[in-house]
Amino acid sequence: MTDTVGITALIPPELVYACRHRPLDVNNVVPTSQINPRSKLCAWTAVWRDEIMEGWLDIDSLIVVAGGDCHNALVDGQKVALSGVPTHYFFYPFDRDPDYMTSQLKGLARFLGGIKDKEMFHTISRLKEKGLALDQLRVDDRARASDVFSALISFGDMQGDPAAFEEVLDTIPRTDVEYSSRVALIGVPPIYPDFHEVAEGFGLHVVYDELPYEFVRLGGNDLQGLAGSYRNYSFSGPIVDRIELIRQELDRRRVDGVIHYTQFACHHTLEDEIFRAHLDYPILTVQGDLPRPSSEQLKLRLEAFSEMLEVMP
Amino acid sequence: MNTGLDVGSTTAKIVRLESGIITASKVVPSHRWKELLEDGNKRDTVETVETIGTLETPETTGTVETIGAAETVETIVSTGYFRKTVPHTAAITEITAASLGVRYYIPDAQVIVDVGGQDTKVIDLRNNTFLINDKCSAGTGAFLELAAHYFDIPVESLGKLHTRASRCARINNTCGVFAISEMISQLVGGYTMEEVICGIHQAFARRIAQMIPPVETVVLIGGTVLNTGIVESFESIHGSTVVVPPSPQTVNALGAALYGKKLRPEK
Ligand code: SF4
Repeated sequence: MTDTVGITALIPPELVYACRHRPLDVNNVVPTSQINPRSKLCAWTAVWRDEIMEGWLDIDSLIVVAGGDCHNALVDGQKVALSGVPTHYFFYPFDRDPDYMTSQLKGLARFLGGIKDKEMFHTISRLKEKGLALDQLRVDDRARASDVFSALISFGDMQGDPAAFEEVLDTIPRTDVEYSSRVALIGVPPIYPDFHEVAEGFGLHVVYDELPYEFVRLGGNDLQGLAGSYRNYSFSGPIVDRIELIRQELDRRRVDGVIHYTQFACHHTLEDEIFRAHLDYPILTVQGDLPRPSSEQLKLRLEAFSEMLEVMP
Repeated sequence: MNTGLDVGSTTAKIVRLESGIITASKVVPSHRWKELLEDGNKRDTVETVETIGTLETPETTGTVETIGAAETVETIVSTGYFRKTVPHTAAITEITAASLGVRYYIPDAQVIVDVGGQDTKVIDLRNNTFLINDKCSAGTGAFLELAAHYFDIPVESLGKLHTRASRCARINNTCGVFAISEMISQLVGGYTMEEVICGIHQAFARRIAQMIPPVETVVLIGGTVLNTGIVESFESIHGSTVVVPPSPQTVNALGAALYGKKLRPEK
């Protein structure tokens, strides 16, 4: 397990490990990055692009998740490819076609040199079970949302070392959480590194992180199994499926309000109106741009939202 | 007695409530906010509320001198941009303050538009959501300040001048910089100052209208709505009925005082 493979969004990390490579979710360096991107639409892609091209982020190859995810990533990924980094493009099927999904996974496995260690499917599955249990702990108010968020978001690459990551998961504190309201965070993850802590400071307990929850999807132990699971990656398909899933989770997690995080120059921003029309909850929409600690403007919105949920009838 | 103190970017306001009745209210420029707590406001006891609901213990508590028995309970609830730096028993955001203050006058209010000096907030009470424009000066008091500054007139006179316009110059831009050059070209093109001011008000109203969801009645608050030109323009552009509560400038201070009443009901 020597080569580091950068990944720009969710792909099955179990497959990368099974091919004896180390995945690195390039987004995870963005919130704390010092890069001031040269040209940008969305800062997420612009920052990882420059991190790689400046040589700050050391990867041997890159997997760009394009279809069903993000065209900004597709363009910035190609810039990285043009700079000489071996790059593979991965496409999710919008129509959730299992055969197409299987062929994409096969293509990915080929790019990675083929499956060599099937045991990794089981190892990662076991870790994901732990992730799901952790997620349930915060739903039951027995773990801090900020701790659970940082664990779940790491399931994209298992922090490059499943064994060490398992220890990290095992040491996340179990603690009774006090709060004034339960909220869900839908949309892409905030680019602010301290978002969950700041929300906690205003009495908001984030009991659902929409995208990171997708990262703990249980995969199965072969390509067919993975295809069956990953073709349902909610962000890649029709928005009605996402709405249905979000509704179920909001209900199951007894949520009082919803925060929709949107990113400047991201097409997901256009979904805000749809969620407002189809989710029957108070919704706060916030938009981020460059990676920075939470701004005063954001804090005002979170504080006001918390007050609204608590004070208003 | 409950005091609401609203210290915003331009003005500071105070409202005092006794037995649910407003007994005093005052507006001063923000930098003179301390005056609001002087004189008649000194005699009361200010207590720290520590155990009500899940409110945090305030960082700063009033330093008003203590006289008499503890029954003379007072809360100072602050709001506005400087809510956390002025004395307070509790601090609440302008969103909550506006919601409570407006409901005092208009219990079935649906949508509130609070036009502030540096930002504009739209609060939809039907589903407890709100929108804040604080990224650019368009649609905030600062935009009107800029126009008034160009004509070298006090911002308070804009409303009156608007009434003297017999037609409105078309101003498309609400970006301060571009609006000024548009104003100039309309003046050069033969429009009067009054007609250009009317155009400025309409551009301002169009900008705010974009933020507002479909609704029959909109409650406008904030010092800017003392300008009748704004209210009129807004009404014609948005198509809703506009309600301006009495003292639209002190509604948030009132809301803060009412929040204090929730914390510590009068005995
Ligand atoms: S936030 Fe939007 S634009 Fe940016 S990387 Fe994610 S999907 Fe692409």
